[in-house]
Amino acid sequence: MNSFRVLEIKQSVFEDNDRDADLLRDELKKDKTFLLNLMSSPGSGKTTTVIRTIEALKDEMKIGVLEADIDSDVDAHTVSKTGTRVIQLHTGGMCHLDADMTRQGLNGLGTSGLDFVILENVGNLVCPAEFDTGASKNAMILSVPEGDDKPLKYPLMFSIVDVLLINKMDAIDYFDFDLEAVKERVKKLNPNIKVIPISAKKGEGMEEWAEWIRAEVKNWNQQ
Amino acid sequence: MHELGVVFEVIKNVENFAKKNGVTKIDTLVLQIGELSSMIPKYIEACYPAAVDGTFMQYTKLKIEILPGNGLCKKCSTVFNLMKNGGKCPGCRNEEWELLSGKEFMIKEIIAC
Ligand SMILES: Nc1nc2c(ncn2[C@@H]2O[C@H](COP(=O)(O)OP(=O)(O)OP(=O)(O)O)[C@@H](O)[C@H]2O)c(=O)[nH]1
Ligand SMILES: [Mg+2]
Ligand SMILES: [Zn+2]
Repeated sequence: MNSFRVLEIKQSVFEDNDRDADLLRDELKKDKTFLLNLMSSPGSGKTTTVIRTIEALKDEMKIGVLEADIDSDVDAHTVSKTGTRVIQLHTGGMCHLDADMTRQGLNGLGTSGLDFVILENVGNLVCPAEFDTGASKNAMILSVPEGDDKPLKYPLMFSIVDVLLINKMDAIDYFDFDLEAVKERVKKLNPNIKVIPISAKKGEGMEEWAEWIRAEVKNWNQQ
Repeated sequence: MHELGVVFEVIKNVENFAKKNGVTKIDTLVLQIGELSSMIPKYIEACYPAAVDGTFMQYTKLKIEILPGNGLCKKCSTVFNLMKNGGKCPGCRNEEWELLSGKEFMIKEIIAC
């Protein structure tokens, strides 16, 4: 009875999810649906940015939104007022979304005919960085009041995203926020990252952001 | 505490592995966690019993091995521990390095019985 066997697994905990995420990306590619995973701390302005983005692009592409929240549907309700297709995902206490949950959300939303889906991830800078959702591209919002030292504290998040939006630029005079220092810190972690300062409230920078999305959506459909 | 969700992910992975390999009972699960991973071993241990409760791993013991967070200096190629040296090369004080290890979160092995 006491014969123990050691079975070597040597597998990253994220391996199953990473594989699933790659599958989902292939499916989205075939459907010609560009999925953007939007991450940030709570309150950085994800929902406000989502609404601004819809306003800027709704006349040129079909947009859908996945709202992930631990347990509420306030954001989905807010976004639905724009007339966009939106679905609320409850993560049931989990602080992140994985590829499987994302797929379920997309199925609920129905991606056929959608060109662009925005996933508002759970407000958190740690776990979402570790779980690939299967998104085409990853974006992160850092807002001015959070401080310019965040790249030093959460290096993983800043190193995996394709684009960083620096939000609440309208409030920069009230905070000690060194934009150039952030850019420098972020580029050290991630040389290819695109940094766009915006104010989701006032609309500043939204044209550059919309331009980035246009180019990425086009690219996604061509490859 | 984000470890709970991740421990569920671990259990899912081990379950898959066990099924494929015809393992029905596991005595010990061995994880490897990098020093620079956002997973804190203490918290993993704390939420592990709750996570395995009611699963086939209910009586499986947990063992955690820590892997060092090492960098390779981009100037002088010294390999050094990032935590102990505060991210600065002990050879030439350079702060630019390439990450060699430390972000891992691996299921190393299981001891089946
Ligand atoms: N001054 C200023 N306030 C902003 C800006 N963008 C968002 N806000 C405010 O910040 C608060 C949070 O914005 P939300 O868009 O709800 O942030 P969120 O990231 O979706 O928040 P959670 O979903 O709760 O994590 C609201 O009071 C917004 O009005 C901005 O550009 N400037
Ligand atoms: Mg929100
Ligand atoms: Zn050196």
